[in-house]
Amino acid sequence: MFRTTDILLIAAMVSAAAFTYKVKHEAEEQLAAVRKIEQQIRFEEDSIDLLKADWSLLTQPSRLQKLAETYQSELQLEPVEARQVVELNDIPMRPVEDFSTDPVGAMAQSGTDKVVTGAVR
Amino acid sequence: MMRLWRNRLSKGQGSTASIVVDGARKATGGRTKNRVVMTMAVFFGIYATIAGRLVYLGMLEPDEGGGPASRVTASRPDIVDRNGEVLATDIKTASLFAEPRRVVDADEVIEKLSTVLPDIDVEQTYKKLKSGTGFVWLKRQLTPKQQHDIMQLGLPGIGFRTEKRRFYPGGPTASHILGLTNIDNQGIAGMEKYIDDQGLADLQASGLAVAKDLNPVRLSIDLRVQHIVRDEIARAMEKYDAIAAGAVVLNVKTGEVLAMASVPDFDPNNPHNALDKDRLNRMSAGVYEMGSTIKTFTTAMALDSGKVNLNSTFDATKPITIGRQTIRDFHGKGRVLTVPEVFIYSSNIGSAREADVVGIEGHRDFLKRIGLLDRMQTELPEVARPTEPKVWKKVHSITISFGHGMSTTPLQTAVGTAALMNGGRLMNPTFLPRTEEEAMAASRQVVSASTSEDMRYLYRLNAEKGSGRRAEVPGYRVGGKTGTAEKVVNGRYAPNVRFNAFLAAFPMDDPQYVVLSIVDEPKPEKPGMGATAGLNAAPVVANIIRRSASFLGVKPDFSHETQATLVSYD
Repeated sequence: MFRTTDILLIAAMVSAAAFTYKVKHEAEEQLAAVRKIEQQIRFEEDSIDLLKADWSLLTQPSRLQKLAETYQSELQLEPVEARQVVELNDIPMRPVEDFSTDPVGAMAQSGTDKVVTGAVR
Repeated sequence: MMRLWRNRLSKGQGSTASIVVDGARKATGGRTKNRVVMTMAVFFGIYATIAGRLVYLGMLEPDEGGGPASRVTASRPDIVDRNGEVLATDIKTASLFAEPRRVVDADEVIEKLSTVLPDIDVEQTYKKLKSGTGFVWLKRQLTPKQQHDIMQLGLPGIGFRTEKRRFYPGGPTASHILGLTNIDNQGIAGMEKYIDDQGLADLQASGLAVAKDLNPVRLSIDLRVQHIVRDEIARAMEKYDAIAAGAVVLNVKTGEVLAMASVPDFDPNNPHNALDKDRLNRMSAGVYEMGSTIKTFTTAMALDSGKVNLNSTFDATKPITIGRQTIRDFHGKGRVLTVPEVFIYSSNIGSAREADVVGIEGHRDFLKRIGLLDRMQTELPEVARPTEPKVWKKVHSITISFGHGMSTTPLQTAVGTAALMNGGRLMNPTFLPRTEEEAMAASRQVVSASTSEDMRYLYRLNAEKGSGRRAEVPGYRVGGKTGTAEKVVNGRYAPNVRFNAFLAAFPMDDPQYVVLSIVDEPKPEKPGMGATAGLNAAPVVANIIRRSASFLGVKPDFSHETQATLVSYD
């Protein structure tokens, strides 16, 4: 009986030690992973900063102007003229068209359309 | 040891006791004990050495390679324009260094490095690697790709240090506004310095300036307009062979500076010439005799005094002689002029008479009120103090009425004009975004609304009929006043060394922006042509307005163009 308790206790101790070791080991692994991810995040953040700077460098008005001038013959970009700037109200209404001779108008009278859409059963 | 001590103890006990029982053990035991002691001593010695060595190694400062510790370059917030475009940012760059003492084979290092860095100076690098010093820089500020490639080479004795560097994507575009930082990333000029003075310097000193916690600083600048302004003045400087040029676009209703540039300028990414004398920011840090543009203020003063209205007349038939000086008109009409005529013909005599109506004290008080005589209050640290005569005499009042004898900064002149255009509210210029309400709350009424109304009319009139015709931009109702000032050379006004300015506002039916351009010492565009402000400063303003009006949100309106004149004034 005495022996059995001993053995049980030893077994419990060993398993507790093993469990502790396992937990500790796993925690270390997790920490290492976290550190790695943190480093990746830092790297990505630095890259984002760099790319942002790069983007603003590439979209500098002075650079775009130079490019537009260089490729003037191909792109034919011109500065906007004051007369080209209008508001919605300034655009005249589209004249009403006469649909009676339109084939679409005729189609409506020629019975059911043959085209079947998904919603029609 | 215990045993030794016990033995000795037992020996001692033995000696005190009268009976000594040594027996057989003693015969051999003495030698055995000696051996044990010796063995112990040897082991003790070995372990003591190991322990000692461990302690020694533990205490020893590790002979860490890698040269000086990374320079702690404190983070700075990004600076963005009003639309969020980056104007200045921090970037981390890797710099390559070597520790010559640790380099095994210098030739191999150079050979491999040159595959990644083809422009590396072989001879110099070889000398550096053979120098035997602890630390040498090989190449500063590599691209991330180069850094990666060099890492892949796996060379011993070389490494990287991350360095933070201020980067200005626009280069010189907004250099005078943004300013500069020094090698420790502290602001030393322009808005960078302003940001430091707002508490960033303390943050950096206490080590709390962490990049993530710093919000970008938004300026009132519009990068697109800023580019246009700089582009146009750089062109003008070249075209008219001027020594300098500058321009500013100011929001009349909020006092925000939308764009401001002065050439020659510098590239803040490589500011080797930033402190050269001719590269100062002429718009705010240079004072000039603004010339006829000041007639704007003289006229406004006369109108605001209540003693003069637009139908008042002034006798400009004869030159005014005061002391040794005679005041003449450039475009003299030799007759009595009305106030609008004085303005559009830019009559010096007429302006002098306008100032006379108000009196010397009144004249000075008015210029003081409109902020032309005091140091301007704004965020930029580089602001010059205007100069005026110590004691104002009659002659001073007369010359100052047409812009001579008093120097002020161009930016200040634009700010004063904004007050004349927006209904009489004078507000400090700002480089930070500000709403109309905030601006109004911080402003003060300097002239009456009706004076402002009259000034708008005069500005428009001058652009239609007077010297500002070349500033006309179809659709945008520009109004403005030219100023061609002679510069003082060797104590005398030189007739062909000029400082030209054009002060404009648009659209004149409800002015939104004031645009001021200056051209310093322009030469005639072609031989035989003049070099007056109407011929060089005015077209600069016209170009700026034509190209930037749509960015500034001003709607073109052609309804006025067909009418012969603006609303007639009664």
